[in-house]
Amino acid sequence: MAASMPRQCRFCTHFCSDPAYLEAVFPGLTSLSSAYASVRAEDGLCRRHDRYLSARSGCENFSPGRGKG
Amino acid sequence: MSKIEAEIGRGAARTQSSGWSELWRKEDWWAIWLGLGIVIVAYLLFANGSSIKWLAVAPAKWSSLSQLGADIATNIDRYVAQFVFWLVVFGFALTALGHRTRAFVPSFVFLYLLSALIFVIGQWDRANYYDLEPPLVALVLGLVISNLLGLPRSLDVGFRVEFYIKTGIVLLGATLPFTLIIWAGPIAILQASIVSIVTFFVIYWVSRSLDLDRRLAATLGAGGAVCGVSAAIAIAGAVGAKKEHAPIAISIVIFWAIVMIFVLPLVSRLLHLPSGVAGAWIGTSEFADAAGFAAADAYGRLAGNVPGITGTADQTMFAFTLMKVVGRDIWIGIWAFVLAIVATTRWEPAESGRKPEAAEIWRRFPKFVIGFVLASVIITLATRDYSLADFNKQVNPTLVGPIKDLRTWAFIFCFLSIGLTTRFMELARAGTKPFLAFTSGAAVNIVLGFVLSTIVFAAHWENLAH
Repeated sequence: MAASMPRQCRFCTHFCSDPAYLEAVFPGLTSLSSAYASVRAEDGLCRRHDRYLSARSGCENFSPGRGKG
Repeated sequence: MSKIEAEIGRGAARTQSSGWSELWRKEDWWAIWLGLGIVIVAYLLFANGSSIKWLAVAPAKWSSLSQLGADIATNIDRYVAQFVFWLVVFGFALTALGHRTRAFVPSFVFLYLLSALIFVIGQWDRANYYDLEPPLVALVLGLVISNLLGLPRSLDVGFRVEFYIKTGIVLLGATLPFTLIIWAGPIAILQASIVSIVTFFVIYWVSRSLDLDRRLAATLGAGGAVCGVSAAIAIAGAVGAKKEHAPIAISIVIFWAIVMIFVLPLVSRLLHLPSGVAGAWIGTSEFADAAGFAAADAYGRLAGNVPGITGTADQTMFAFTLMKVVGRDIWIGIWAFVLAIVATTRWEPAESGRKPEAAEIWRRFPKFVIGFVLASVIITLATRDYSLADFNKQVNPTLVGPIKDLRTWAFIFCFLSIGLTTRFMELARAGTKPFLAFTSGAAVNIVLGFVLSTIVFAAHWENLAH
């Protein structure tokens, strides 16, 4: 499975796009918005690089596995 | 971090695949299912000689406590039924979205009782005299409770600002004639585009002049120009912002959005702006949908009740909605797509590891707008054969009026939730430079929005829905 999956963040173990997680780490997000909104798409945090990224990004540190979705 | 991860619970195991699963994994779609469901049921009952009026109970105007008590006692069974209805539909949706809903029942009981109290205050015949507009009362009460008294964090599950406002917007669509969207939409898009583009570039330019990171500059710019926190979070992802960028933008947007909830209606009132004109200005210059609806709702209630303020409450809401939702919100996908191209081709071409796709525009499209438009189309088509007199006599009391009452409930849940979830001490420290950059754009936005709403397009907004 790992060989066939694209080397994108959404398939990387460092990536987390779980809405509950994002609402916990971004204080104030729920006051006037939501991590469950369509505008967020499937963006998430890369915990290796501390970047907030599109789920379709990728880098040389890709590590196959399901991050916290 | 480990504490946060522990709090995630079962939601953590969910997958990130997009596509059809969005239909039950995104709040926008649930707002459509609930809002459109209510509209369709309301129409079917209306077409068969019945109405959802019984369920859409709301406090009547009152001038004495005995009168209020009698009204509540008469309708107590309807209030209980309505509470159960909201509890079930919102609880079901939140469960499907993956929330831990164990605390939802006590949370929603608290929210409903407080909302009922705010609704009652708003119906007092002296409410306007004492400036007790329900949106402002809800916001202040919520802020006091969350910041001074404190509530258990678990209750937050019932304070879903975005979900309530989106459901309310879909219901609002049913009260807004589709012909009005077609007629007034282009001007809203033109005005909003002018202000959005200018605001974005002012914030971006000032940010860069202050040596702020380009990705933070873009995140701040979108937050001020498009749809507040939602835009900031969307653009942060599109440009690959640093982890700390989004919280900075969120803090500043919340600060200014809350300030504007009070300032925009107050200035509009001092200037006696017609209700439609004020709605357009608020729609242009507020930063978030929920905050903007609070300001627009507060001002709309003054129309016809405060000497010198002409127009109707509907005009404020319609002008605001057209400007904010049609003029600004729906373009967030395009902003994200364009900025993603800039970020990946010019800012850091070697790092991004991706090529922006046009599909990004659809992925980030605020889908609840589809429900808003469909609700408008359904009711417009369903009532097209009624004369104005018949519409006011038959359709309004049994179809549109009850939908509007349910919309008001959803909005009050939202306004109260803004206050209950805004804990100032927990917001990220924004820093002076980002604050100055955003504030510069906000200042330009407010002045430009005012000029366009009150001078350039004043006649258009003043006569809206006439």
